[in-house]
Amino acid sequence: MGKYIIVIISVLLFSGLPACFYSDRELFEVEPIPGDPPLFSLTTNLDTLRNPPVNDSLEVSYEVEISGGELYYLYADVASITIYESDSSSGSFWINASLADSPGVDSLHMEFYYSSNSNSLADKVGYEALVEYLSFAIDFNLEIKK
Amino acid sequence: MIKKFIYLLTLSLLLISSTSVLAQSLGFTFALGGASVKMNDMKYLQEHILDTYPVEGKITSSFPPFTSASISVFKQLYDHIRIGGAYSYSTTGGKSSYADYSGNISTEINATSHRLGAYISYLVSGGNRLDLLLKGSLDANYTSLSIQSSYNIYSYQSGINNYYRSISPAITVGTELMYQFNKFSLGIEAGYLVDLAGDLKNRDSGEALLDPNDFERTLSSDWTGWYVQIKGMIPLKF
Repeated sequence: MGKYIIVIISVLLFSGLPACFYSDRELFEVEPIPGDPPLFSLTTNLDTLRNPPVNDSLEVSYEVEISGGELYYLYADVASITIYESDSSSGSFWINASLADSPGVDSLHMEFYYSSNSNSLADKVGYEALVEYLSFAIDFNLEIKK
Repeated sequence: MIKKFIYLLTLSLLLISSTSVLAQSLGFTFALGGASVKMNDMKYLQEHILDTYPVEGKITSSFPPFTSASISVFKQLYDHIRIGGAYSYSTTGGKSSYADYSGNISTEINATSHRLGAYISYLVSGGNRLDLLLKGSLDANYTSLSIQSSYNIYSYQSGINNYYRSISPAITVGTELMYQFNKFSLGIEAGYLVDLAGDLKNRDSGEALLDPNDFERTLSSDWTGWYVQIKGMIPLKF
């Protein structure tokens, strides 16, 4: 009888070994309640121009306003080449005629990354963004250079 | 330093005296149960860490009563008195976390106590089968504590682990109610442990774990609390 009790106790002790190491696997799961999405507005010196010419170079100035949010970063590309990047909500940069291989109309693409206001963990640490894509036609008037 | 040395020396002497008298009536015990702990500083640190989260996380566990176990060898010195040496183990911890679709962040604190000490027990009343004993012990308490923080946001993940230790004296008073079978006894032990809280130091650098709001104060582990264990005792007769 005594032997059986000892065996039972030993089995119980060994089966309880995991309890000798404290562990908590629970995660506090949350479904974030998103805030109002930020309102994005952009003003540039190209707004009122139709196919602005790039004779030698063209200055582009911009000003971003994000109501209820924050601008993280912007990229400006021409002919798949990044010509400007910044985290500033206003500034300017130049487009040089040397970017184009041939004369004609090309596009200036701008990407603006700004806060999503989703209230998620990624949003709070700036790892989640909404993106606004904008394009402007620009005319590489290379013949004038010649 | 001198105090620690005297304390460890006293413990060693007690242990030696309790094992050097191995003669006729020896025995060993084993016990398993649960123990509550104070760990006020760790709960405070947990709150502080939670406040640093960029989102509203939650403490999902905060040093709840958890496993406590011990083994001991003893010598029946007189009819009513036993002395012995014991090793005791306790563990607990706490966790704070937050998780949503974009990722998660969590901090887990794990604390383990290893106590080595000497004890004396007195048989208050003994019948044919049932014994009631009072017990007191003096232990050296080594605490091993880890703080593991990690976050995972979309594809990016990172984390940091810090390990701390402390040494403190602890005193336990308790009572045992044991039922004697032919070759062993089974029963229950309950008591209260007073831990004289040891300052936590980084295991690698030796730097103290300071109160984040008061750099003059070092945070400590505190295992003070109640414990209840199921206990077995096997006497060895030579």
